[in-house]
Amino acid sequence: MTDVTLIVNGETKTASVPPETTLLKMLREDLNYTGSKLGCDVGDCGACTVLVDGLAVNACLMLAGQAEGKEILTIEGLSTLEKYHPIQKAFEDVAALQCGFCGPGMIMTTKALIDQDEDVTRQNIKDALSGNLCRCTGYTKIIEGVIDAYQEITGKKLPEIKPRAA
Amino acid sequence: MIRRGKGVGCMWYPIGFTVLANPSAATVKVNEDGTATLLTGTVETGQGSLTVLAQIAAEELGVSTDDIHVVSADTDTTPMDTGAIASRTTYVTGNAIKLAAANAKQILFEVAAPLLEVQPNQLEAVDRKIQVQYFPQRCLPIADVALQAQFVMGRPPIGSASYNPPTVGMDPETGQGKPFSTYVYATQCAEVEVDDETGEVDVIYMSAAHDCGTAINPMLVEGQIEGGISMGIGFALQEEMLFDDKGLQLNPNLTNYIMPTSLDMPEIDVDIVENFDPTGPFGAKGVGEPTAVPTAAAICNAIFDAVGVRITSLPATAEKVLRAIKEKNDNDQKILPAAE
Ligand code: FES
Ligand code: FES
Repeated sequence: MTDVTLIVNGETKTASVPPETTLLKMLREDLNYTGSKLGCDVGDCGACTVLVDGLAVNACLMLAGQAEGKEILTIEGLSTLEKYHPIQKAFEDVAALQCGFCGPGMIMTTKALIDQDEDVTRQNIKDALSGNLCRCTGYTKIIEGVIDAYQEITGKKLPEIKPRAA
Repeated sequence: MIRRGKGVGCMWYPIGFTVLANPSAATVKVNEDGTATLLTGTVETGQGSLTVLAQIAAEELGVSTDDIHVVSADTDTTPMDTGAIASRTTYVTGNAIKLAAANAKQILFEVAAPLLEVQPNQLEAVDRKIQVQYFPQRCLPIADVALQAQFVMGRPPIGSASYNPPTVGMDPETGQGKPFSTYVYATQCAEVEVDDETGEVDVIYMSAAHDCGTAINPMLVEGQIEGGISMGIGFALQEEMLFDDKGLQLNPNLTNYIMPTSLDMPEIDVDIVENFDPTGPFGAKGVGEPTAVPTAAAICNAIFDAVGVRITSLPATAEKVLRAIKEKNDNDQKILPAAE
């Protein structure tokens, strides 16, 4: 067993875990942050996405020990009891999610994309989300939700796409 | 070379099977503050059915959807439901809920009628009020009527009902009958790009026109259609369960079982073709499964339009499409007249 200390959503947390423990397992099972989901455990689905020092990471592919001392942001760190995070609000407004299983991962990926502070196009959004699988929505409304959140948070406008000729 | 093609796929789909018992039931209780509690056995799996069912109850009671508290999917407290299957929830469970809400409303009407000095059948429930038809100023708040019903008249405004699309047995001789209550129809069009040197297919645009009866919640209908299209694209081009000769799946994981990602999704236009079905709740039918039915057909037709080959086994992977293109080219060459 090794002691691993993480800063999760601003709070310092320590747990004693076997060395092969993934960051996801430690978050879910030792620290009780069950918002990040276990979909595949091999890096295919993105349901486990968390931010490690601001970068979107598949928590199932990172060992807990590799995250020692780092700042972890999980879905639990976004909303407060009073208020949704603007990304969550945008997702809710457009009904971006259906079963919601992909939701925490989608939202954390979106957070990382918006936090980059760069101009974003529709194609960038599709690229960013391509590591997050969703079986329900066809991604269409998720992309709409990301666009709304991006515009709301950054105050920028996404380049309009021309509607197709009828 | 990249070649473009367009294709169309059409379908019909049955809603509310009638060959077997297919019941749903519901209880609607109007509370003394004017809200209502709805008990239904159906399961929300993300399709938004509880929202739509609350909308149905709210519309019948003349209150806001926010006023409906839904308790679902727990047979300790709710009636049993046949299930969130066969695209039946809005239609069958929705009908049960509409009937249950109507029963609760009838009690409110009977309680309000003497207070408003009219007959119960002259009343309507609108905007959280029980009011006299054509005389909306003669009204009482629904909360007051519910309070009166409970504490003065001793008639709690609770309605229960069940709905079972009339079961019709099949004729054992001919195999004919009326297996479903109603049907929905849809057409989807696909535009694809096919690389005739690699066989790779890219769906660049889909349009989908769906009849679902009345679209009780158009945003959720769109979500269903877009999700169905992504499943249809996976079915058409990517997804295949592979088994070894002992029947074990060779690709039981997302590494080898390839489903669409955000990059595989085309631009989608959704067209909801509204159509009132008199047997459905407020004219609604259903939309779930039908959304994935015509997609693969439209895509395969578009592949044919682009490169002139018919793919008859799915998924239409790049290998299959390329093989078909090569075969076609070989055959085309064979029929060229020999040079003199
Ligand atoms: S659980 Fe980590 S990518 Fe699927
Ligand atoms: S909403 Fe169900 S997987 Fe994305």
